[in-house]
Amino acid sequence: MVKEIERFGLPVVHVCTVVPISMTVGANRIVPAVAIPHPFGNPALDVKEEKALRRKLVEKAMKALQTEIETQTVIE
Amino acid sequence: MKLELGKVFIEDVQFGESTHLDGRILVIDHAELLEAVSGDEHLWKIRVDLAHPGESVRITPVKDVIEPRVKVKGHGGIFPGMLSKVDTVGNGRTHAMKNVAVVTAGKVVGFQEGIIDMSGIGADYTPFSKTHNVVITAEPKAGIKPHDHEAALRTLGLKAAAYLGQAVKDVEPDEIKTYETLAPREAAQLYPELPRVGYVYMLQTQGLLHDTYVYGVDAKKIVPTIMYPTEIMDGAIVSGNCVSACDKNPTYVHLNNPIIEDLYEEHGKTLNFMGVIITNENVTLADKERSSNWTAKLTEFLGLDGAIVSQEGFGNPDTDLIMNCRKIEEKGIKTVIVTDEYAGRDGASQSLADADPKANAVITNGNANEVIVLPPMNRLIGTTAYVDSCAGGFDGSLRSDGSIEVEIQAITGATNETGFVHLSADAY
Repeated sequence: MVKEIERFGLPVVHVCTVVPISMTVGANRIVPAVAIPHPFGNPALDVKEEKALRRKLVEKAMKALQTEIETQTVIE
Repeated sequence: MKLELGKVFIEDVQFGESTHLDGRILVIDHAELLEAVSGDEHLWKIRVDLAHPGESVRITPVKDVIEPRVKVKGHGGIFPGMLSKVDTVGNGRTHAMKNVAVVTAGKVVGFQEGIIDMSGIGADYTPFSKTHNVVITAEPKAGIKPHDHEAALRTLGLKAAAYLGQAVKDVEPDEIKTYETLAPREAAQLYPELPRVGYVYMLQTQGLLHDTYVYGVDAKKIVPTIMYPTEIMDGAIVSGNCVSACDKNPTYVHLNNPIIEDLYEEHGKTLNFMGVIITNENVTLADKERSSNWTAKLTEFLGLDGAIVSQEGFGNPDTDLIMNCRKIEEKGIKTVIVTDEYAGRDGASQSLADADPKANAVITNGNANEVIVLPPMNRLIGTTAYVDSCAGGFDGSLRSDGSIEVEIQAITGATNETGFVHLSADAY
């Protein structure tokens, strides 16, 4: 899906836990996620902490979307 | 460490007055077996059924399959850290009851698969259609938490296998095989001209119904470590997982791991089998990196020339497999990886979720997406209520006549990644 949307001309950020698979399938902008069962959150945190974590991840992804890249890049 | 494994080949299983062997027929005292496995506050309505090879019987959903074993001589008892105390096992003598399996069945959480057909085409796809199965089901008590339910069913199966194992304790085995592994320094001197080969044993560790236990420890909490292979034959590794049942290792497979068997078979002939490195398949990238780093480090530490790496499961563990392969190869140690495939129903899709040019020696145990039609069976142990929503199933999988159209990934052990199966593939 990442590749097909990019082929259409829109930049895509792939937020995913297993970065090597994302690299193998050819995503260009990759943001590492939390864990496979809960990529965008962490049930071990309390509500406030988890909201902060989620916001940080989304903001990082938004920034990655605007970042100029030359090759496949992992944005930590 | 040296273990004598005595095998007692059983020809039939029946209920009777007391649990004992009558020649090579296992007679089970039904009431005594129930007494031996009961006592868990989370379960009730425990039921025992027998299912024999060739019968028109379907068992589903299957949780675990366990071979009855008993420790005869040496340290500790069977299933250390789970049933017995945590003594280090793997030496002395153990008796195994061949051709018999304890099967625990029944729903634990949500959707769940694992089908064993005792006859018909489905029987060809599971190794557990050839065993006389003592099938145990139990109902959970109201309000039970899923993790407690899983632990209770897991223990129930182990208890039954340990109870039945007692019946072969004082029996002269039909066959005795001796397995010995020395400490690395002595082992390396034993056959200096032969390549030193180790086995990297990947254990599924991804959460509820996806876990494995080592001496009672949840393996997602371990860092990779070294084991004598004979420890595993005494039940040091126990299954807590059964989802997408085709490529999960039931406890039976841990006890009878064919890669370990074959490495011992070749030990001193074509190779020098140095031992087993166990590792996990966790759900965060940091865990995957750490564990594969440690696995590679331990192959170097053992002075290996080559390693066989087997996977358990599919999807994100493909990355653990490839990381292990790549990092071991980067140490100058050759690898063979043993896996299965999810190549789509037509077999045309990419087989693994991850890949690397260093993974140039691969053994596959079949394509789990292959579709099969399982004929109706006369008797059902468990329930088929979840077939439509199980992994490999789809809306309409369960037909009105009782037949099931499903991917073979729903069949227990169909594409087992230790090679405990008949499926494989050739490259053209």
